[in-house]
Amino acid sequence: MLDAPDGDGYRLRMRPAPTCPEIAVVDLQVCDRCGLCLPLCPPEAIHLELTDLVVDRTTCTGCRKCIAPCPVGALTMVAA
Amino acid sequence: MHRPLPRRRAHDGRRVTHDTDVLVIGAGPAGALAAWEAKRAAPELDVVLLERDARVGTPVRCAEGVGDAGLREFADPDGAPWAARKITRVVFVAPDDTEVKVAERDVGWILDRTQFDAFLAERAVALGAELLVSTEAAGMTCEPDGRWRVRLRGAGGGGETTCRARVVIGTDGVEAMVGRWAGLETRVPARDMESCAQYVVEGIDFDPDAIYLQFGAGIAPGGYAWLFPKSPGVANVGLGLVALKADARNARQYLDEWIARRYPRGAKRTCTVGGVIAHTTIRQTYTDGVLVAGDAAHMINPLSGGGIVNAMKAGRLAGRVATGAIRDGDTSAHRLSAYHAEWMAQLGDDHLKYYRLKRALEDLDDQFFNSLARTANRIPAEKRTLGRIFAHALVRHPQLIPVAARFFM
Repeated sequence: MLDAPDGDGYRLRMRPAPTCPEIAVVDLQVCDRCGLCLPLCPPEAIHLELTDLVVDRTTCTGCRKCIAPCPVGALTMVAA
Repeated sequence: MHRPLPRRRAHDGRRVTHDTDVLVIGAGPAGALAAWEAKRAAPELDVVLLERDARVGTPVRCAEGVGDAGLREFADPDGAPWAARKITRVVFVAPDDTEVKVAERDVGWILDRTQFDAFLAERAVALGAELLVSTEAAGMTCEPDGRWRVRLRGAGGGGETTCRARVVIGTDGVEAMVGRWAGLETRVPARDMESCAQYVVEGIDFDPDAIYLQFGAGIAPGGYAWLFPKSPGVANVGLGLVALKADARNARQYLDEWIARRYPRGAKRTCTVGGVIAHTTIRQTYTDGVLVAGDAAHMINPLSGGGIVNAMKAGRLAGRVATGAIRDGDTSAHRLSAYHAEWMAQLGDDHLKYYRLKRALEDLDDQFFNSLARTANRIPAEKRTLGRIFAHALVRHPQLIPVAARFFM
């Protein structure tokens, strides 16, 4: 996960507690930014910024609908 | 009545507000045609065309095939630098590799989308549309006067700017954020999303005047694999599949296996991936001051996955309806609903039929397609048109009758 390496605690301040045991995360090294997963997400938790695909961890419900359709396997589930 | 907007740009600290009549978000074929038609129909209106990438046309997320008749409605492909290859034959390949060559004339073209999209955008610019590249829309809100305030971000990180528009046309492709922001339903059921991967493959042997399409549950479950020639020995080789029907592998892994089996000596170049929405047009493609067109509105032939000509037709229609509404000073949902009605009459209702056909064909297995291929090959090659294949198939394969019935229902 993308926590600050020096552990300055910003994860606690910036990220409210998620509501499900597992959420989707994207490996930006593998992601091709094709946008396929966006309309598949029931709670619309995924969006693209100029260079990054972003999964909103407070909106993701852990439904896994985005995982298998990714053509390059860039999305995986992790413990919330 | 429409009053021209002041041409000045208001500076408010580091934020810049830019007013326009029509803001088109996404400079693919739908967006370029929307901007072009808006300027053609109403030269006095301001039209801005946004593109997130640094160059219109890249990266290419497309197999680049287009039908001849549909393309000619918008541009002449003969001798054009953006037309990579003329296609005169279609070869269907059954799951067991039986090939069926279909005799049709002037089937279509393989485009060079990097050049084709740039060509379409340049035509809009030549009429006076303003093209902004390396600029993405980050969100939008409706103002009390009915205009949309759209937040824009540049790739350089130079802070956000704002653009106010009387009508926003969302042509932002499969991700369809404009529709989402405007409150339209743009989500797709998983069974109607095709996951696609494609390489440009060099050094392989095929008929350079033909496209090849192969079906099969083990090859591309719920979709098909394709070879679209770009020049002799070089082709777009890809596939689309429905992940719900696939095993644990992703689209790229299926494609790697298919290429290893069919074209083992091919050199794989750039890989691109993407989603094709094999669904029907979204229920509502308009709201107050907003129209959506092309992939963003699911305007794709659900049977073939083709969307370029559909996008151009819808974009042109959106540009025309938007400018008419602005001229009359009424950009309400009620007024813009004419766009949806016209699109459904032109192609949207046909897509509903194709979708029913797609769902019916899903019930047929590999054995059926293998035997259908042998039936088709009994028709003499020069008479083997799609119509004749279909007629023969209906006689010899009675399981097709309910499929056909669902198409005409």
